[in-house]
Amino acid sequence: MAARCPPGGRPATVGWGPTTPAAPLRTVEVPSVLDVTASMSGPAGAEEEAMAVITIEGLTKRYGDVLAVDRLSFQVDQGTVVGFLGPNGAGKTTTLRMLLGLVTPTAGTARIDGRPYRGLDAPARHVGAVLEASGFHPGRSARNHLRVVATAAGLPTVRADEVLAQVGLTEAAHRRVGGFSLGMRQRLGLATALLGDPQVLILDEPANGLDPEGVHWLRGLLRHLADQGRTVLVSSHVLAEVAQTVDQVVIIASGRLVTQSTLAALTARTDQQVRVRTPQAETLQSLLAAQGIHADPDGADQLVATSTTTEAVGQVAAAAGIVLYEIRAERSNLEDVFLQLTTQQGA
Amino acid sequence: MTRLIRAEFAKLRSTRLIYGMAAGMAAFALLTVFAGIAYAGREGNPALAADSLPMLVAAPVTLLSGAALLLGILGMTGEFRHQTVTQSFLVTPDRGRVVAAKLVAYPLAGIALAVTILAFTAAVATGWLAAEGITPSLLDARIGRVLLGAVLAAGLCGLVGVGVGALVRNQVAALVGVLVWVVLVEGLLVSLLNAPGLGKWLPSAAAAALTNPGGAGLSRLAGTLLLGGYALALALVGTRLVVRRDIT
Repeated sequence: MAARCPPGGRPATVGWGPTTPAAPLRTVEVPSVLDVTASMSGPAGAEEEAMAVITIEGLTKRYGDVLAVDRLSFQVDQGTVVGFLGPNGAGKTTTLRMLLGLVTPTAGTARIDGRPYRGLDAPARHVGAVLEASGFHPGRSARNHLRVVATAAGLPTVRADEVLAQVGLTEAAHRRVGGFSLGMRQRLGLATALLGDPQVLILDEPANGLDPEGVHWLRGLLRHLADQGRTVLVSSHVLAEVAQTVDQVVIIASGRLVTQSTLAALTARTDQQVRVRTPQAETLQSLLAAQGIHADPDGADQLVATSTTTEAVGQVAAAAGIVLYEIRAERSNLEDVFLQLTTQQGA
Repeated sequence: MTRLIRAEFAKLRSTRLIYGMAAGMAAFALLTVFAGIAYAGREGNPALAADSLPMLVAAPVTLLSGAALLLGILGMTGEFRHQTVTQSFLVTPDRGRVVAAKLVAYPLAGIALAVTILAFTAAVATGWLAAEGITPSLLDARIGRVLLGAVLAAGLCGLVGVGVGALVRNQVAALVGVLVWVVLVEGLLVSLLNAPGLGKWLPSAAAAALTNPGGAGLSRLAGTLLLGGYALALALVGTRLVVRRDIT
């Protein structure tokens, strides 16, 4: 757990462990995403599994008729920062609460270092968590809040002052939390998570309610924590919030895994789109398909080809003598990819 | 376990609730002493004498049991109301231990509150009597019995409060529920079931037997055992529910 990875030296591979037949990894029916996952799921050896800090397998939560989380499986490797993404209501919070032993799964398991959270010896020294709907007594000062938690966790109460300084709340230490802004509460939540100097951090929408400066500060803090070799799982419904910070993303929608990939692989998808305007869109689409290039029609005379280059599309068109009015590489932004992935899964 | 109990005391000390309650109780105690002295020798009340002290000290005891009950309810349901329970259970995933720490801490806090207020009451009453030219004896065995009853009642009511809080979780529902139970339900049960003998076996009558035993009610020992039984049952069921329910 204490292993330190140098900055930038974090493993770039995705931690696809061997999957059990009962809990197959779910991937969306988008060829390019399958490509990403296929290239990553190769030699998932024993070493990789030993590296996994968080292991979620077949995790399911049913509330009455609603399947909040549906056979979700993914892993988070040691020393990585993983963005846990999905639209509101996708099941992120429920998943994190199951991981932290607050909500009992209907089926499946969620483990931290091979053990369920409730089985950890000193959870506060091991895992720090910031959850939504985790509150503070409005009449208690920030410092006293931290001292109470430290006392319960068996940590020296001097830690309260240290973490207050770490999140920049020293000035407000003696003020009642009831008068805190949302941003200050988020900082206090992070301070609470850091009390036990944990190697694993689980943060649920930590950027919610932060102003741009706060988001910037949060990014810096997460980067700093990651550079110390800590493992961070951070959820968000806005990809852009975490895009600059995370190494990998786990995307879920409607309680199911859409994809787990490196951020680099996800970013690559954004650059691989080619938009073509041609009167023979349908013909070109089938010709491209014959070459293994997927293209979707967009309007009557346009095609959007994914995972390819303008050169490749141009060659195919020229070989068949198809007239192109326009051809250009499109840099769809990351948010579009995110939206596309999550809405397709939800549909 | 010790550190969890210490954490509960740290929680209590770091908000204004306990100080506010102490101030309120002290004001009420002052009022009872004033009323006790003002009405002595009138409307059939015995005149002030050297043995008036136990009567004056006993006056706020019932309300002190109520305060201990309130403290227990607020202590347990406050965790859910302010969602601090998430943090508590993150630090101590063995939830039963968190509830157990409260079951120890809140009765003790209730007892501390009761003893403090009774000492204050005794001091004020002694001073007041002295001003009236009466020197009461503090070594009256009846004062000891008032204190014993108050300590038992505050402790057990605090236990009941935590148990009710764990069972109901919603602060307003727990407070209203307990009020309705004491004011309405116990009386209704007795009259609806047409069982006048049932009354003394119900919780508030058991609590009353601790501070004012005998007569038609139970003895102090029986009251202690009965209220202790109710408290234990509530605590067990409440703890079980808290351990099993999802924290969302």
